[in-house]
Amino acid sequence: MEKVIIVRYAEIHLKGKNRGYFERVFCVNLEKALKGIRHELRRTSGRYLVAAFAESDAEEICDRISRVFGVHSYSLGLRVPNDPESIFEAAKRVSPQSGTFKVDTHRADKKYPMTSPELNAEIGARLLQTYPALKVDVRTPAHSVYLDIREDGTALVFGAFEEGVGGMPVGTSSKGVLLISGGIDSPVAGYMMAKRGMEVEYLHFHSYPYTNEQARDKVVELARILSRYTGGTAISTVKVTHIQEEIHKKCAAELNVTLLRRFMFRIAERVAKRKGAKCLITGESLGQVASQTIEGITSSNAVVTLPVLRPLIGFDKEEIILRAKKIGTFETSVLPYEDCCTVFLPEFPAIKPKLSFIEEEEQKLNVEALIEEALESMERISL
Amino acid sequence: MIYLDNAATTRPSEGALARAQHYLTECYYNPSALYGGGAEAARLLGEARAFLLSRIADPARFSLTFTSCGTEADNQAIFSAARRGNAVTTAGEHAAVSESFKELKNRGVEPRFAPLHKDGSVDEEALLRLVDEKTTLVSVIHVSNETGAVNDIASLARRVKERAPRALFMSDGVQAYGKIPFRLSKDIDLYTVSAHKIGGLKGTGALIRNKSYAGLCAHLHGGGQEGGLRSGTENVFGIACFYYAAQEKFASLEADAARLKGYRERLWEALDKERFVRLSPADGSPCILTVSAPGTRGETVQRMLWDRGVAVGTGSACNSKKPHSRVLEACGYENNVLDGVLRVSLCPSNTEEEVLFAAEKLNEAVRSFGG
Repeated sequence: MEKVIIVRYAEIHLKGKNRGYFERVFCVNLEKALKGIRHELRRTSGRYLVAAFAESDAEEICDRISRVFGVHSYSLGLRVPNDPESIFEAAKRVSPQSGTFKVDTHRADKKYPMTSPELNAEIGARLLQTYPALKVDVRTPAHSVYLDIREDGTALVFGAFEEGVGGMPVGTSSKGVLLISGGIDSPVAGYMMAKRGMEVEYLHFHSYPYTNEQARDKVVELARILSRYTGGTAISTVKVTHIQEEIHKKCAAELNVTLLRRFMFRIAERVAKRKGAKCLITGESLGQVASQTIEGITSSNAVVTLPVLRPLIGFDKEEIILRAKKIGTFETSVLPYEDCCTVFLPEFPAIKPKLSFIEEEEQKLNVEALIEEALESMERISL
Repeated sequence: MIYLDNAATTRPSEGALARAQHYLTECYYNPSALYGGGAEAARLLGEARAFLLSRIADPARFSLTFTSCGTEADNQAIFSAARRGNAVTTAGEHAAVSESFKELKNRGVEPRFAPLHKDGSVDEEALLRLVDEKTTLVSVIHVSNETGAVNDIASLARRVKERAPRALFMSDGVQAYGKIPFRLSKDIDLYTVSAHKIGGLKGTGALIRNKSYAGLCAHLHGGGQEGGLRSGTENVFGIACFYYAAQEKFASLEADAARLKGYRERLWEALDKERFVRLSPADGSPCILTVSAPGTRGETVQRMLWDRGVAVGTGSACNSKKPHSRVLEACGYENNVLDGVLRVSLCPSNTEEEVLFAAEKLNEAVRSFGG
């Protein structure tokens, strides 16, 4: 009898001829997540088994698996030879000792001599004998004892399905650059794209000394929390102070934010090309702030050719907050460090800026030189 | 780094650290232990207590209780002394006092806040008008930590007692003790001090009490240390550092104060008057010069200075939710002044060259603000 964690994957079975590729990436991601813990990862048909781990590591392994995209569900259980005696011994350990229960058998091995109902009855009856306080209830049992008869002569016995995060293995949908601020939204946006299998490259803009180091540390911490789901080992930071100063000095105040965002997008696109990423990801939600109107989005899209993914575009703030809480980034996001000094915020930002006016104002700046200067300030911080 | 944020904290005195080392590594005994080592530690506490008290007060009239910080001392004083009726303080207090006063409201005591003059000192007449027969406590900061303005606590205490003889008078002396010369008058009942503002360590403070006030309560209960007023094993090393650092400060207190006052004025003279306005009064603490560069943000200029090798304090943060100093707001300054506040605070080890270098960097940073 061997203690195992059974991992089932989500959408991979939909992938016809590419299934092998998806499974390989998924396996690599599982191994990455379990790095530093002694274990063995085995692939059986349609499932992965984590085995040969120390009893005391079980909880930590489950916790880490619960954050790997592509995991549909997982169960802590026992692996035994498929004879009824061994199955019963395992079921005895997994079963509750009182309350209502049922036995639920699934046979992958269709040649197994007993049918599923027969096994349910046999094991159920023996459990009732062993634990007289148990009661069968096949409709709404408080507990279930699951038997999974595999094709390799073994059976998996477990008590519950724990829900995984779903989605697709990170790395199966190319790579995107996430523009991460210190706010609530952008980490959620990164999470959502990673859930669809995208590898996320973090990019943060700061304007030290107008912003402080605490604000930067906060973003690094956000990236660290996200990386537990998305992988990723570093965050890039780019200083846009001089750009902000130039815009502030030379351009119409109501366009401060609009113009800065165009610079950020241009810089992000160059970073994306350097890093082999194929899109940008932002946490924009339509109408949330002045720069997130369709006119604002149009003006920043106009300076890049890569697609810009905005997974939160149709979300309400409340919905985003709920997700941020679930992911675990909310508490850090609401720490009171501003990501932009109020001195550069116009009193009345343009809500529907005209592209022609923006371009006219932008001509007062040496765009290329400013971008180059900003890129030179790029730093990589390990997570 | 030229360190000019001494009102926030000071660099621990190396001399004091070296002398106190003995109580960290050799005589680490519990002062309550009844063997030789314990007695030696207890003797140090007695010596430190006597010295620290006698520098500002008559030991026959006052006693001193060690606490873990100035904030703890303020809290203990306030929640012991204000039990009913109303309690009066100023709009210029440190948060340790003002937040405690706000808490009094939840405990059935009405807090009253007296307005300030433009320089940060309390409007004495307005304060006295708030005092009535139901007043149980009046608390007035001795030296404003934000502007350096000095309140005349001796005169205030006397006038408060004339109006309300049963009221207690306390003062937060964290920015005064070991920095300016003074003695506690008989009308002052409670006075709080802190070690790390004068070259001692964080984690050591003291509450000085007029023996005529017997109602001080313990807020930490336990082993009965400090005469039962503050249980918890004494921070012997911290207290030793406090003692030795205070010895250094008090040895040349008047000469240092006069010298620092000179530096403070030279610093002001060297600042670009087209950029800076002065918030600190001329007759305030010699250690504090608070200025503002309207149109800038203090927090940002502070970081520009840090990058140029100068550390100063600020009265504002780049925070849209709570942008300004509550105290300076109460002084009646406009938003553009409140935005750009910087507090330069000196200690005796600063030199004239440092101060002039800082002035140059201040001018430079403010000129480069906003590009």
